[in-house]
Amino acid sequence: MKRFLLYLTVAIITFTIGYNINLIYFSDRAPEQPINFSHKVHAADNSIPCLYCHIYADKSTISGVPSVQKCMGCHKIIKTDSPEIQKVVSYWEKKEPIPWIKVYNLPDYVYFSHKRHVKASVPCQRCHGDVAKMDRITRQTVIFGVPFLRVSPLKMGWCLDCHKNGAKEFIGGPVRNGTDCWTCHK
Amino acid sequence: MLNRRDFLRVVGIGSAGAAAGFALAELNAPNPARLIPYLIPPEDIIPGVANWYASVCRQCGAGCGIVVKVMEGRAKKIEGNPIHPISKGGLCARGQAGLQVLYNPGRIKNPLRRIGERGKGEFQEITWEEGLTILSKNLKELRDRGEGDGLYLLTSPISGHLKLLLKNFMNAYGSSKYFAYELINYENLRFANNITFGQNSLPHYDIENTNLLLSFGADFLTTWISPVNYSYAYGHMRQGRPGLRGKVIQVEPRLSLTGANADEWVAVKPGTEGLLALAIAYEIVEGGYYKGEDRGKWLAALERFTPRDVAKVTEVAEERIIGIAREFSKTKPSLAIGGENVSSYENGVSNLVAINILNYLAGNNIGISGGIIPNRDIEKSSFIPVNSLMQDASKGKIKTLILYDTNPVFTTPGAVKVEGQLKNIPLIVSLSSFMDETTLLSDLILPTHTYLEDWGDNFTEPSVGYPVATIMQPAVNPVFNTKSVGDIFIHLARNLAGVFQKEIPWTDFGAYLQASWKMVYNKHKDMKEIRETTFEEFWNNLLSKGGWWKEESQAGKKVYISVNKITPYLPKGPASFDGDDKDYPFYLTLYPHSSYMDGRGANLPWLQELPDAMTSVVWGTWIEMNPERATTMGIKEGDVIEVESPFGKIYAPVCLYAGQRPDTISIPIGQGHKFYGKYAEGRGANPLDLLPFKVDERTGAVSHNSTKVKITKTNSPGRLVKMAGWTKELGRDIVQTITPEEFQVKEG
Ligand code: SF4
Repeated sequence: MKRFLLYLTVAIITFTIGYNINLIYFSDRAPEQPINFSHKVHAADNSIPCLYCHIYADKSTISGVPSVQKCMGCHKIIKTDSPEIQKVVSYWEKKEPIPWIKVYNLPDYVYFSHKRHVKASVPCQRCHGDVAKMDRITRQTVIFGVPFLRVSPLKMGWCLDCHKNGAKEFIGGPVRNGTDCWTCHK
Repeated sequence: MLNRRDFLRVVGIGSAGAAAGFALAELNAPNPARLIPYLIPPEDIIPGVANWYASVCRQCGAGCGIVVKVMEGRAKKIEGNPIHPISKGGLCARGQAGLQVLYNPGRIKNPLRRIGERGKGEFQEITWEEGLTILSKNLKELRDRGEGDGLYLLTSPISGHLKLLLKNFMNAYGSSKYFAYELINYENLRFANNITFGQNSLPHYDIENTNLLLSFGADFLTTWISPVNYSYAYGHMRQGRPGLRGKVIQVEPRLSLTGANADEWVAVKPGTEGLLALAIAYEIVEGGYYKGEDRGKWLAALERFTPRDVAKVTEVAEERIIGIAREFSKTKPSLAIGGENVSSYENGVSNLVAINILNYLAGNNIGISGGIIPNRDIEKSSFIPVNSLMQDASKGKIKTLILYDTNPVFTTPGAVKVEGQLKNIPLIVSLSSFMDETTLLSDLILPTHTYLEDWGDNFTEPSVGYPVATIMQPAVNPVFNTKSVGDIFIHLARNLAGVFQKEIPWTDFGAYLQASWKMVYNKHKDMKEIRETTFEEFWNNLLSKGGWWKEESQAGKKVYISVNKITPYLPKGPASFDGDDKDYPFYLTLYPHSSYMDGRGANLPWLQELPDAMTSVVWGTWIEMNPERATTMGIKEGDVIEVESPFGKIYAPVCLYAGQRPDTISIPIGQGHKFYGKYAEGRGANPLDLLPFKVDERTGAVSHNSTKVKITKTNSPGRLVKMAGWTKELGRDIVQTITPEEFQVKEG
């Protein structure tokens, strides 16, 4: 009996650990996107600034995914023979938006404004990692080719860390009202 | 201690557990959220950033300026336009609920043609082209037969350029039958004002700056004329002037929300308010507060109405009448207003005239700040008494009836039997956004935009001492396959060709509106108030500000009221009620519900779940009864009773309400819809079913306080849903009170 209890306890504990490992480190790690889009090619090799495509980042709460029209603006001419670009073209011709998969997702009880952070000159990389090194967008840092810890856990403590201390780099001190409940939950 | 086997087992179980956990988490993983980009991004939209469009509220006739918050093409919130002189940034609950008009699941989504029997509700969806062709073919035939005058158009009381367009259309067609109808209207008040002040319009009641407001049944904080503006004014009058707090005396048999805010409540006997006003007038003249040369004449005209005699009829003590008269004359400025309740007796006009003259006698409060500031003359209203409309219907004079934004089947007394009369009309066309009781009876339904999707303008009556025009602009694209009313008529004009092309040459209503405003601009551009140098600039400012107003008060002119002219209009005695005292012991007073008005708000769930301010009841109809009287009759709160008048009966639960005279019961108007979408249908009862068809003969306005009723307790099922449970403090000292004597000692 005693032994059975021990097995049970071990099973429950390890089950929880396994579940959470998946949840924390593996879920939504780097979903396959409808088009094999490479940030590396765009942001690094061709040095396109982030705000060229994510046009609302300094104007709105959301940064905005580029419209299909924006993609076509360049790809009418550039690399038209690539099969991936032809996928973009086919979306454009069908007059359908590309159903990208969201990698960074905040629950709806969190109010987050890209504009505020961009205007305070927090670099995009601070939360999104070194996107220019990624082919497919991922939330993991990669060490020796192995996905490792997340760039940003998007947990409340992590937000507050920066609101309290880290903000010095950008605004020279803690964020005003940065730990107020209503700043993020409204 | 663990032995080796156990250790291995533990490790095995551990890894299996971890793997299972991992796998379950994988299975449990939520579907990934998608990020859907625009195909082509609209230029004026930044996702996540709201655009605010200034427009006008059309939930009642007050014409409050609003601003609509629109994000990514969806209307999210409506607020009062802070710079608008009527709403001043405020908005009532009905205005707030406007979003649910727009996104209501009960909206008619496509044009419909009746296929089954009339009233059965069997319709077939058709295209706009078909719908408009059916109607224009009918109109053409009618005119070719020389029966152009058989086209009747019945709308709600609208103002502005839409009204002008409809009028032009009807003129060009050769019909003089353009009418407006609404249950809660101000025809009696206009008429009374014409008699007393010589202006057939609603003046500006300057509640804001008055020091004593004597209100006869005017529930100006919830429904009367312009509640948002008056609420603002009321706040200012009470608390906005340091050291000065205006006083309010409310005279009404049922304590309304406004009454509950007043300093004094005079629970007058129903139907005698006009006499009370005359007794006060008598005391003002008799007591020497009125100093005009014709004092003797006034005294002679009023001599029948001494406070002593009137006290017996009104059940208001003689001293109290005299006290009110003295206070009203001595306080300057003072203001007397007569509201919905007094204007809805069968002698409504007389009551209002009697109340109006108080303002004159007590020191001519007319044309001064804190009194009554007459409006500019407005054109005659196109109000039609429903009885004459019904007569025309029964005589077969109406060949085609076009209805817009009006629901006479629901909003007329049951005794009118509108439903039956409509049967005599060969073609009924309803331009409506919702399937209501009247639309259900029509043959062709052309669904219209709601006010958040349409163009338009509104010339507010009463203004606020200066003219106010408010522009209505589409805040969002049409949600369904609907059309603007203006566009429907412009389209019909195009189909009918001929003289119409000359009269109505525009392509759409928006263009017509802009062209009309261009004419206004060209006519007035030299005025010093118009600073814009081009029309484009003017128009842009119009749209961004929400309208145009003059921003300065006009000094009103003083008036002189001649006794002889006024005497025939004074009340002769108490208002008459149908039903004799023995069989029908209760006076019935009906009042528009603060959120449903005449019933139009009942299909908005926000309003359904908004507790009534005085009784806290939600969702249904209730019958307000004096608690002591109820006890003597063995009636408890929540008991369903039958209310019977000589004309009909309804059932509803009782709500015990101490602000009710023992000889009176009150029922709010607005519920009891048979067809009006899922939120309104089958809730409560329509108290209008109890009414005789009585109007004030001089105006044709329905008198909804004109019958007596009897009540019987029943065992019918029914439930009173109330948010507040208990009216007693139970010793909890929630409201702390102090007697006037103590107060004086303490405050010196
Ligand atoms: S009073 Fe209320 S319903 Fe009437 S126009 Fe103003 S906000 Fe709208």
